[in-house]
Amino acid sequence: MTGNNKGMKLSLLHIIRRSFTYHLRDIVYQVLIIIVLTSVVTGSLMTGKSVRKSLRVTSLEKLGNTGILISSGIRYFDPSLVDRVAEKAGTDCTGVLELDGYCQNFATQQTAPGVKIFAVNDDFFSFQGNDTVRIPKGEVAINEQLASYLALTPGDELIIRFNSISELPADAPFAPGDAKTGSVVLTVSSILKPAASGNFSLAVSQITPLNIFVSRSDLTDAEGKIPQINRLLMSRQHGPTAVEAYNSLAAVIKPGDTGLSLRQVPATGGYELVSDRIFIDQPLADELAALNIPSYPAITYLANSITLGDRLTPYSFVSGLDPALYNDIPKGNGIVINEWLANDLGAAEGDTLTLAWYSPDPLNRLMEEKADFIVTRIVQMKGIWADSLLMPEFPGIAGSVSCSAWDAGTEINMDLIRDKDEEYWNRYAGTPKAFINYEKGREIWGNNYGPATSMRFAADATEPALVANLSGFPDPSKSGFVVSDLTEVSVKAAREGVDFSSLFLSLGFFMILSAIILLILIVSAFYESRKGQVKTLFALGFSNRIIEKLLFLESGLIALAGTIPGAFAGVLFNLVIIKALNSVWQGAVQTDALTSGFDTVSLATGFASSLVVIIILLKIRSGSFLKKLSQPETGITKVPSARRNVIVALIFLAVTIILAVLSVTLTGYSTDLSYAAGIMTFATFILLIRQYFLGRKASSRYSFSNTGHISKSYYLFNSSHAIAPVIFLAAGLFAVVITGANKMSINNNMLERSGGTGGFLLWGETPLPVPGNLTDSHGKITYGLDDPSLNGLAIVQAKRTSGNDASCLNLNHIVSPPLLGVDAAEFIRRGSFSFATTMKGIEGTNPWQTLESRPSDTVIYGLKIKPGDTLAIRAESGRIINLVISAGLNSSVFQGFVLIGTDNFNRFFPSVSGSQVFLADGDAASTEQYISTLSERLKVYGAHFEPAADRLASFFVVTNTYLRVFTILSGIGMILGVAGLGLILLRNFNRRRRDFGLMVAEGYSVKTIRRIVLREHILILFAGIVTGFVSAMVATRPSIMGDTGLPWLTITVMIILVIITGLTALILSVRGISRENLIARIRKE
Amino acid sequence: MLQLTNVSKSFQQRGIVLNRLDLAVSEGDSVSISGPSGSGKTTLLNIIGLLDRPDSGEVIFRGRPLLDFDHEASALYRNRNIGFVFQDHLLLPYLTVKENILLPLLASKTDDTVYKEKVDDSMTMMELIGISDIAGKYPYQISGGEAQRATLVRALVNKPSLLLADEPTGSLDKHNADTLGDLLMQLNADYGIAIILATHSQELAAKMKVRFLLSEGKLVPADDRKQ
Repeated sequence: MTGNNKGMKLSLLHIIRRSFTYHLRDIVYQVLIIIVLTSVVTGSLMTGKSVRKSLRVTSLEKLGNTGILISSGIRYFDPSLVDRVAEKAGTDCTGVLELDGYCQNFATQQTAPGVKIFAVNDDFFSFQGNDTVRIPKGEVAINEQLASYLALTPGDELIIRFNSISELPADAPFAPGDAKTGSVVLTVSSILKPAASGNFSLAVSQITPLNIFVSRSDLTDAEGKIPQINRLLMSRQHGPTAVEAYNSLAAVIKPGDTGLSLRQVPATGGYELVSDRIFIDQPLADELAALNIPSYPAITYLANSITLGDRLTPYSFVSGLDPALYNDIPKGNGIVINEWLANDLGAAEGDTLTLAWYSPDPLNRLMEEKADFIVTRIVQMKGIWADSLLMPEFPGIAGSVSCSAWDAGTEINMDLIRDKDEEYWNRYAGTPKAFINYEKGREIWGNNYGPATSMRFAADATEPALVANLSGFPDPSKSGFVVSDLTEVSVKAAREGVDFSSLFLSLGFFMILSAIILLILIVSAFYESRKGQVKTLFALGFSNRIIEKLLFLESGLIALAGTIPGAFAGVLFNLVIIKALNSVWQGAVQTDALTSGFDTVSLATGFASSLVVIIILLKIRSGSFLKKLSQPETGITKVPSARRNVIVALIFLAVTIILAVLSVTLTGYSTDLSYAAGIMTFATFILLIRQYFLGRKASSRYSFSNTGHISKSYYLFNSSHAIAPVIFLAAGLFAVVITGANKMSINNNMLERSGGTGGFLLWGETPLPVPGNLTDSHGKITYGLDDPSLNGLAIVQAKRTSGNDASCLNLNHIVSPPLLGVDAAEFIRRGSFSFATTMKGIEGTNPWQTLESRPSDTVIYGLKIKPGDTLAIRAESGRIINLVISAGLNSSVFQGFVLIGTDNFNRFFPSVSGSQVFLADGDAASTEQYISTLSERLKVYGAHFEPAADRLASFFVVTNTYLRVFTILSGIGMILGVAGLGLILLRNFNRRRRDFGLMVAEGYSVKTIRRIVLREHILILFAGIVTGFVSAMVATRPSIMGDTGLPWLTITVMIILVIITGLTALILSVRGISRENLIARIRKE
Repeated sequence: MLQLTNVSKSFQQRGIVLNRLDLAVSEGDSVSISGPSGSGKTTLLNIIGLLDRPDSGEVIFRGRPLLDFDHEASALYRNRNIGFVFQDHLLLPYLTVKENILLPLLASKTDDTVYKEKVDDSMTMMELIGISDIAGKYPYQISGGEAQRATLVRALVNKPSLLLADEPTGSLDKHNADTLGDLLMQLNADYGIAIILATHSQELAAKMKVRFLLSEGKLVPADDRKQ
């Protein structure tokens, strides 16, 4: 409105518009700070969304067209099942054999550990929507990650080594001792991009896998048999649900799919069901028992010897039979023997025979056991007693031309085998020589692999009746099949994974705080400068309500002007953060595949939340400003007591010294005591700085003759105006240095037995299981570890299941972590590792002891579970096992695993043969020698050994990266905050304008006044820096003196930037003090 | 019109400023209050304008006890009844002279007819006191005398019954001070607006019908004191 627009009515908005134009510089400052604040909030939220979206996109890209996975875990099934399921479900399906292994560049011999080998059919890539990819025989396709890792190009040769593909678990009794691993040399035909399913993975992890795709027909065994498969993939497009998929599977599955076969037994005329796995496991035996047609278990085992007195018959098969099917089978310790055995031993009915056999111990080491049996009957070798089919088809035994050619997977004493034994073998093959009651046989020979070697049916059960009854057998859930909706699992894991929104809001906390403090300072200075204007409005009859409304509208418009561009600036912030996470901060995410993306919800949330917070802040500030202005003046200004201050300061100083001394002497508590000493140093410094200003009171001189006294006189009455910025600066620096000192690194405690390494020197892993026991003499000889130089070497080995990495290196929320079967007794003996938390009810008990009775947990990070919780896992048979988490380990080399006792492990996962995780201890000076020897001797299994400390440190990289991010963002926040020192200077100057006006009147120059103001604020700047730095040094003394150290470069750069920014802000601000505004003040006086 | 009885006010560091002070002002009166700096003149005007509250005493305006008023009522009282003129002109720097003058109209609801009427009156007043040509100028573009006259017009825009002037000529030269003094007396005479004037200027005080000296927290007739 001007003099010309006479009719226009004055409005609040008009006044605000004019005010904004007039106060443009102040408004721009506020808007800029709000932009920073909003961009950090919005950018953090958007980073969270971007990470989750990236995880989801990466997971789905890895899955390709796969929607549902039907997995048989560590077992195999017949590929023909794929077509039947596809037909039943009415969707595209393909079968895959997924193997763990490692590979080598044939030319360079460089090894890539932990590769995934997918043995696929021709239809795999077309199923994934890539019709152009074919894998010719003798060739492999690899993904870009592996090509890059091993520097492979098409035409190069690749050695691939994988675990043997056999239905019979390698550790099962009498499984052949050789062929535990398989290997092929193939030529690289193509390098697949992610879009061509190169990164295909069934695992939930953001880490790009190392993939090999090979034709299934290239992995034939010695007999040229193409291996079975273990994964059935169902299409995501128009695919069934997991329940529908399971129902389809259950409807079409046949016994033969899982290696079960029905065959006639000539000796009895009946039928029996036998398994390629030799032993029929308990769930299947139970399921058969529940069928309408009666079945009778039988177990046949190899006795090392049958003795009577001094006569011995070696290596004979003995069967445990059900009396319901074999009437003459005695109860308890009775034994029926055939004529041949009776003659060989000279045994008669009533004699007591001693049977000896090998039985696996918890580590699957075969130990000889013995039991006595009383001969109840001697039978002729004919009819049901001449049944060679009772002997299971042990691969190394069945079909052998002689006993001496057996490969029973265990030691056979050839000296004991006589000609007559060979003759028996030639004539009767594995026909059992003795028969005991099945219950007794199950008791002594039943094992984790199953209670029976065959299920026999009554002679009157016809084949058609059996086939009809066995329709729908076995139940997939009892034979190791697990159906999962991988799309849902991946999306859920990404959604519930690490929350980067709150993470970056926390990491950017100091930046946000600085922006808020700066905003409050700017707004306060802004209001301060308008005190006269508001007083005028009061005098003109403006009510508090209208003035509040005016200020609120102003604040709202300023907030809007800042939050709208700020929200969009958040997109930029997100871009920078994601770029940093993909590069310099990759340690936190272990991938470079994160993509930043625009997210409307984050934008809206960041905008709205920032707007609300800012408006609330401005409202509170304007409210308190108006309240102060409208309250009657009291003129009360209290001067704090310098005497009391100095007494408190001296007490604090004394406590600081005591704490500092104690932190040096009581080494066990040095970290806590140093931190306390640091805090006390901080407080003491603040009190001493306050004393500097209050000390003025004690002096009788109060004169303008010394410009230093002028400052001190002002702060005598207003010490908080100087102390508050000192505290802000010091606290910021203190926090940043302390955070930097929290950087995790290996210390001596971690190397102790109770530490994270368990006192072990080495940690080793092999992609292929190492069979046997590396610690006994046989194992040492087998693996060449009997070298005298390795005498001091002690190895603890553990089996593991595959699973998704649940360590901090995986950003996804993992619900199926790998299990590790550990020898808890060894850890108890050594006193290895320590626990952070234990379940209620086991206080006072060593949590390791619970492992033998129930599983224990070490993983909390990825699983979001705690001691006392239950973790449902699927055993090998498919049965769901509820693991009770009894304790959580302190940070250790086991991060990412759930630990259970060896016994339980073997019970739940009998087919897991061989160990893949190793801990080794010995002479620390020989660490390098141990690493090289173990790596060499176990090379065929792809062994990788490293110092246990390195393994532990590898997990610190995540925490340390986060700490670095916090330090950097906080540093930026501090620098931003320090810029506010210029505003503090202006505020302090404004409050003292009257004094300075009088000084000008007394003859002081404006230059002198500028110098006074600048000097006192430089004092504030350096007092803050020194306070923060010195107290942080005291607090972090153990880190400085220890191995951790401090990020000196970051701290130095930050302090330099703080000084430069602070001085620049102060110098620029002090230039705002002009002669004019001082003269104007004098005029008023 | 205005009755102050036993009004006291003290500040921690200045001690007692007003001590059981009594003052009665009738409609159309003009009162000057003189006294040394810090004697409490501004405090007294602030209490009358309800910008400050006394520690004790009573302030009655046209029969209504002012000290019972809350913030809202106080603002309304100031807007409707009081015109303020300060030593510093206190014009909002971002509004033109005319906008500053019309600012009090925004403090309370004014319908369009009345608003237009008051705008016209203020224009007339501006012409009367010779500042109509600076209506569109900003405060930094005008002289101190012009600013103080603009302040006076602003104080009168709501046709108050009481004008409180705190050292209105304090920052003016003699010519401008005389002009403003005459203006005040003219307003008092023409419109019957009561004036309470705090001033160091004997000349300005002499123009008022009643003259007081504020001494030791009490008002004493200035002439009596001289005698």
